[in-house]
Amino acid sequence: MKRQRALAAYALGALVRRRGRSVAVAAGLAFVVALFASVLFLGDALRAEVEAGARYVPDLSVQRVVAGRPALLSTDITTSVRRIPGVRSVQARVWGYLYVPPISANVTVIGASGREALVHATLVDGRAMRAGERDACVLGAVLADALGVRAGDEIALSSDVGGASSRTFVLRVVGTFRDGSALRTADLLVTSDANARALLGVAEGFATDLAVTLTTPDEARVATEKIARLVPGARVIDKLLLRRSYALTLDGRGGLLTAMLLPALAALLLLAWDRLTGLSEAERREIGVLKAIGWEVSDVLSARIWESLIVAFVGAAVGVLAAYAYVFLAEAPGLAGALYGWSALYPPLRLTPQVDAAQTLALVVGVALPFVAVGLVPAWRAATLDPDRALRGGA
Amino acid sequence: MSEAQRRPTATGRAVAIGALAVGATLLVLLIAMLADAGRLRAAANTPGAVRDRAAIVRLAGVTDLAVSSSSRWLRHPSVSEPGAAFSDAPAMFDADPAGAAVPLPRALYRGASRMQIDVRRSAAP
Repeated sequence: MKRQRALAAYALGALVRRRGRSVAVAAGLAFVVALFASVLFLGDALRAEVEAGARYVPDLSVQRVVAGRPALLSTDITTSVRRIPGVRSVQARVWGYLYVPPISANVTVIGASGREALVHATLVDGRAMRAGERDACVLGAVLADALGVRAGDEIALSSDVGGASSRTFVLRVVGTFRDGSALRTADLLVTSDANARALLGVAEGFATDLAVTLTTPDEARVATEKIARLVPGARVIDKLLLRRSYALTLDGRGGLLTAMLLPALAALLLLAWDRLTGLSEAERREIGVLKAIGWEVSDVLSARIWESLIVAFVGAAVGVLAAYAYVFLAEAPGLAGALYGWSALYPPLRLTPQVDAAQTLALVVGVALPFVAVGLVPAWRAATLDPDRALRGGA
Repeated sequence: MSEAQRRPTATGRAVAIGALAVGATLLVLLIAMLADAGRLRAAANTPGAVRDRAAIVRLAGVTDLAVSSSSRWLRHPSVSEPGAAFSDAPAMFDADPAGAAVPLPRALYRGASRMQIDVRRSAAP
């Protein structure tokens, strides 16, 4: 123990003597760790956020696909679906997308008739929608900002301007969703089913999809088969399938970004190998002196391993801390752009960290081990130098 | 390595103290980071936050995040039909990941929508 403490102290001294190189390698390591950890933290946080909401989605979502594209469903089938044993409730939903040229943005319009009570007061600035209220809407905060509106204002929407079905109607913005829910509500325009139909061009008697709740969610497969027989071209998405779809999407994105970072890690390890292999004249002389005064091969080897360990720990710890600050304090500028794409409306990326002690330890150890391993061979070569040749300046 | 060589010098002691200080600071910062993450997780799981999240998901019917509205299959990946990547617009680019680096020419959407929107301010301050 005492011996190792002395060797660690010697390694520290050596690192301080070669401070330029030590700082450069630690900084490079910190940078690569920060890149990896950022992707990991971001992916985990997004996955957790999605998972946290997944339990509240309907047991089954029924869509209709025609020629590979989503088609409207006739609401007549809701009665037949409701009769299927095990089905507790069926709701025909009217929702869809509206591209609004003045703000170059896609808006998600949701008809919420019968579900107004869900938009309770704690969720909105202004007030919530009232049951049966027509011509009222609640906007996502980001959409409201883009339009420059706040609760109490009105928006006049003109659909199909200059076209055969041109129509203008006015919606009163009764409230805007608070920032806390922006991750899900940034681009929402929630209004009555009638308004949603008018905005989206969905005729009465049709719906975008059906939300089906089952008495026993385990019977989703049986209900899916029955619905598929009932509705031509039906595509039934059960909760389980949906969760899998999320996992694949987010894992794919995270994996892609990680794969893009692999060359950076490889380059750093290569650099570390190169720096550690090439002993400077001063280092060679130092090892020669140490061996001449009685240091054993194991002592020199241990000292070099201590050097690598210290650099790896400092680099990895700084990298993890930087990644946390980058993702959760600075909201991942740059990296978030990969998620936003060319969206005009996107929420601030305020995510809940999922980082725990085990993940932090795994990151630090996962970086330290390969780094020390890369330094082992050069350390062995340094330790086995012949003192006489080392002091005389030979190879 | 003799016993004399193992005895730290004054400079060695200063270096060791400095290194211990750096190591301890990093450890404290890592612990603070984990504590902060735990605090934020607890805040996201209070009964009020859970109720709000449930209400939003039940309202929208999906738990998709509004992180990207570049494309239907990015805005609502869970309910997009197979092949959605190709059906958003004519000559639609692959928005993920290339869409992040190469923006879609907005001209493609010109004429695709004839929606106009006007804002009328409320009299209230």
